[in-house]
Amino acid sequence: MRQRLQVLDDFFLQYRYRYVIGVIILIVVDALQLVVPRLLGNMTDAFREGALTKQGLLHYIFIIIGVALLVAVGRYFWRIYILGTARLLDYNLRNKFFAHLETLSADFFNRHKTGELMAHATNDIHAVRHAFGSGVTLMVDAVFLSIATVSIMLTTIDTRLVLLGLLPLPFLTLVVIGFSKVIHSRFLKVQEAFAGLTDFVQENLSGIRVVKSFVQEETELARFRQSNEKLVSSNMHLVRIWGLFGPLVQYLAGLSFVIVLGYGGKLVILGDVSLGDFVAFTGYLGMATWPMMAIGWVVNTIQRGMASMDRLNLIFQVKPKITDHEDTVDIPGIEGQIEFRNLTFKYPDAASPALCGITLTIPKGMTLGILGRTGSGKSTLTDLLLRVYDPSPGELWIDGIDITKLPLATLRRDIGYVPQDSFLFSTSIGRNIAFAGDEFSREEVEQAAELAGVRDDIQEFPDGFDTLIGERGVTLSGGQKQRVAIARALIKDPRILILDDCFSAVDTGTEEKILRSLRGIRRGRTTILISHRISTLKEADEIIVLDEGRIIEMGNHESLVAAGGLYAEIHEGQLLEAELNSDKET
Amino acid sequence: MAIYHEDEALGKAYDQKLMRRLLKYARPYRSLLAVCIVLLLVITGLDLLQPYLIKVAIDNHMNALTEPMLAFVPGNEPRPGISFDEYVFVREKEIKRDPAPDSGWAGRPIPARIEQNEDAYYLLMQFPGGDITRRELTPTELCIFKEYDTHAVIRLSLILLGALSLAFLLNYIEVYILQYTGLKIVSSMRLDVFQHLQRLSLSFFDKNPTGRLVTRVTNDMDALNEMYTAVLVNLFKDVFLLVGIIIVMLKMNVELALVSFAVLPVIVCVAAVFRKKARDAYRAVRVRLARINAAMAENISGMRIIQIFGREAKKFREFDEINRDYFHAGMQELKVHAIFRPAMDLISSLALALLLWFGGRRVMWGTLEFGMLFAFTNYLQQFFRPINDLTEKYNIMQSAMASAERIFLLLDADEVEPDPVEPVIIPRLKGEIEFQNVWFTYNGEDWVLKDVSFRIEPGETCAFVGATGAGKTSIISLIGRMYEISHGKILIDGVDIRNIPRHELRRHIGVVHQDVFLFTGDIKSNIRLGDLGITDEQVREAACFVNADKFIRELPGEYDAKVKERGATLSSGERQLLAFARALARDPAILVLDEATAHIDTETEALIQDGLAKLVRGRTTLVVAHRLSTIQNADKIIVIHKGRVREIGTHQELLARRGIYYQLYLLQYKEQMGVS
Repeated sequence: MRQRLQVLDDFFLQYRYRYVIGVIILIVVDALQLVVPRLLGNMTDAFREGALTKQGLLHYIFIIIGVALLVAVGRYFWRIYILGTARLLDYNLRNKFFAHLETLSADFFNRHKTGELMAHATNDIHAVRHAFGSGVTLMVDAVFLSIATVSIMLTTIDTRLVLLGLLPLPFLTLVVIGFSKVIHSRFLKVQEAFAGLTDFVQENLSGIRVVKSFVQEETELARFRQSNEKLVSSNMHLVRIWGLFGPLVQYLAGLSFVIVLGYGGKLVILGDVSLGDFVAFTGYLGMATWPMMAIGWVVNTIQRGMASMDRLNLIFQVKPKITDHEDTVDIPGIEGQIEFRNLTFKYPDAASPALCGITLTIPKGMTLGILGRTGSGKSTLTDLLLRVYDPSPGELWIDGIDITKLPLATLRRDIGYVPQDSFLFSTSIGRNIAFAGDEFSREEVEQAAELAGVRDDIQEFPDGFDTLIGERGVTLSGGQKQRVAIARALIKDPRILILDDCFSAVDTGTEEKILRSLRGIRRGRTTILISHRISTLKEADEIIVLDEGRIIEMGNHESLVAAGGLYAEIHEGQLLEAELNSDKET
Repeated sequence: MAIYHEDEALGKAYDQKLMRRLLKYARPYRSLLAVCIVLLLVITGLDLLQPYLIKVAIDNHMNALTEPMLAFVPGNEPRPGISFDEYVFVREKEIKRDPAPDSGWAGRPIPARIEQNEDAYYLLMQFPGGDITRRELTPTELCIFKEYDTHAVIRLSLILLGALSLAFLLNYIEVYILQYTGLKIVSSMRLDVFQHLQRLSLSFFDKNPTGRLVTRVTNDMDALNEMYTAVLVNLFKDVFLLVGIIIVMLKMNVELALVSFAVLPVIVCVAAVFRKKARDAYRAVRVRLARINAAMAENISGMRIIQIFGREAKKFREFDEINRDYFHAGMQELKVHAIFRPAMDLISSLALALLLWFGGRRVMWGTLEFGMLFAFTNYLQQFFRPINDLTEKYNIMQSAMASAERIFLLLDADEVEPDPVEPVIIPRLKGEIEFQNVWFTYNGEDWVLKDVSFRIEPGETCAFVGATGAGKTSIISLIGRMYEISHGKILIDGVDIRNIPRHELRRHIGVVHQDVFLFTGDIKSNIRLGDLGITDEQVREAACFVNADKFIRELPGEYDAKVKERGATLSSGERQLLAFARALARDPAILVLDEATAHIDTETEALIQDGLAKLVRGRTTLVVAHRLSTIQNADKIIVIHKGRVREIGTHQELLARRGIYYQLYLLQYKEQMGVS
């Protein structure tokens, strides 16, 4: 148990007093509630004996009102202290979960789907919250109220009556425990059927073109009917037992009243039990049914919460793969000299290496072009330079230091990166460009946008740089997204700049303009251009051609064209394509 | 995120127009629903019986020893009583009517009562003429009187047991029927929505993301299910109970009833305030939860960028802000409930105090029986339950109405594929295809096809060639009338396709898509595709003919092998072969091929080529061509460039022209030529 909740240790250390207060208030409230039936019982006897005066009646009424007020106030506070603290726990745990995710490497995210992680962040955390919110409340109620009511009844009211009257209640607990198990498992079946239906509809709608061209509407409808029927029948399967639950609980609780009325009534008539005790007992009995049911629920709530905690722990236990180590060298920044020494790299779980025997030196200030088809290993090079994955020690050096010994934060701070998919966040365009730091001025943002050739586009949007991206704002075109992503990298004025195939949606004219301004500002700084388009690369100081993870050609544009290899071939093809596209309509 | 927006738009909890449409679906089940309501009436009655039985037990038996009685001569008693001495004693209050009519003194009842003095009990009888007898009762004699009451109380408890058992049974039946009808209603609605979706045209699906449509059929329907089952009939239950309690209370004692109702206005006010607060709080929580989900999803997919840019701390701060916002909204909701629920209990305690003060004094004065007061305290508790329930139903109603609105919006979408008014049926198509000046656009703005005209003779193989986005796939879609063209005409065997019933038209066209879409099921069903006229034998023949038989036989279960995850376990070449078999089994006059570009191993490639050659024989075939061999063997090549037909001819003719085809050829096919 302790180990299970290790993640929350500091939380409980800080907030346990809230739970203590909440539980104390809850117990006080429960105890106060116990007063009322006794009070009504005493009043009844006083009535019967004719001993009640107006004063006495008022006395009772004031006590009832006073207790009610205290109970109401107490109830507010235990909710705040117990349920509120559970919400705080929910907040705390979700933050920790998110912070933990931030430390994990790409490898982890490849193995865990977004949907799965989100289910943890919502469903599992909610289940834990319930265990520490309503679970705690139920537990206190169950333990305190059941012990208290039963012992009060046993000490103040005729033992025979109490024991007989309470007889059905333990069955109530058993019913709750047993039923919630069965109900839960049948509920999972319903969810399964629901997921099946969802999958079916998803398949049908994404294949609607095929459905239509093969005139499959009727067949699909028949299959949908089946799926739909299955959902109904699994629901009915659940209802058969779930529908029994409520009435059964009512019935068992009612049985107690039958016993109290028959047997208790007899005892009252025979004079063994006073009418007041009878009245008090019916009141207590009403109170005792709740904790008996609570015992059943608390078992399930806590069980489910702990199962969720276990699932979360599986994630929390994943250690970040890429971090700083003891042998990390402390340096203020990097200069930008890169050296690959016979580097071979294989992604985890991959059958064959993505890069093989790469040996290459990129002096500080050089612009390197990398050309290659999809899957040739271009992006793997950037993954390694950015330490998204770590290469084997000794194979990749920056400024003469093994990259795995560089402080991660410094390395990434000094590299500017434009990703292939130009992922942007759904905030304003300005904030996306200023993403890399906290203190970029509006001028810097605009300047970076200017360099990336996207400033004019942005200024045409309704809110300029404050325009939101995504559903709540504008939808950027592919080219605009790429250029914003370029601006986001340029604003850092990094020592090393990596542009990973980020001109594919930018027209050639704009691309040339951007490349021209880049040449100006990147003088003396290392730049790596990755592309499958020759036009992007041809001005680079040096170009390498990658194929199946190996460098197959190397040189500048002219020498590569002259060599007549893959580079020259691609070049020829692209020239033709350009010619075709410039072909005007007649 | 779509969900994000939808959750923000929580509307009203009741909308008459929507409700009327919703109830229409309940119509076929109205007799079952009526049964439910009758059952509920009985159950409510049984629920209300319990406090009454206890009241009777207390007032008539447990607290009744000293009540005034009438002594009858045996045989004259109006109802069973206590036989003692030579009389039968009956309690006055148990006799509803006036005592028996005056019929001589022997028939006239004698007032009597038991008096307690310390531990001794005396029987007092007041004979006509004023004689009062007083005799002490021995404990055994007293027991005769008490036994009458103990028997009565046990009888009452047995009645209670019976009522409980009956309520238990009826409750279960009611819940069962109710859930059954609710599920049936929703499942028929769901069927309607799905059926409607199948009839909508492709342009509708281009505009509406699949995910959103799936939500309509699944989650939105679930919200409605909850409304039908949890709210609609429980509403009756609560109202019945409320009305029942009010009636019973008024019938039992008007004054006490009115005193009990005194808190009603307060309850209504508090509940109204709560309803508003709870709704606002609930909405705030939902919106923030959606925000958390959106942030979580975005940050997980952007984690790479966050880490590369070293912005973990900043993103954490942002997430923390959203998370804290959610926490505060949750606390707000918690507070609303933490105030409301105890407040309701407090009001019920105040009502109890009021009742005790008012009734207690009357009990003291002797104008009210104690059991009656006790029964009222019980009814008062029952009174609060339905009120609490009713307020809680509000949220369910709200989300159900929002869901209903979205569902009806979808059902009202009228982009249904139109069918011809005067359909022309061509029994056996020859397969002649002609485009006459066809203009087409997907979005009403950008022309995808501009003035396209061409003619393909029956049995011809025609290859469409052009760069990506030139409009080749659009032409293929238009032949099956997947979209409506803007201008021009498409003729098949000389008939405008708009005059051919859509299903008829598509039955004559066999399509092999580039990414072969396999349905969940088995191999057989994927070849047959619902056409039960195709026998197992024919399925096998078709597969054999296109060379698919070999790999199918190697699957576990052969033709009955399950297709999992849309055929992910099969190679793309195998999926191609399956698609050929699928097309062949239906023996279409026109064959449409969207050729795959994926790399396929040479052995399968050979099988595919051979299968294809067999498939094409005797059919008009249209190919979006990527393979050089397909193009070279085509009877006709149509070159599409930027939405226009630019060149038509055979491979050799077009090469000789040195036009677009020649350039494309150099660009795309030279490499393949080197191989072949």
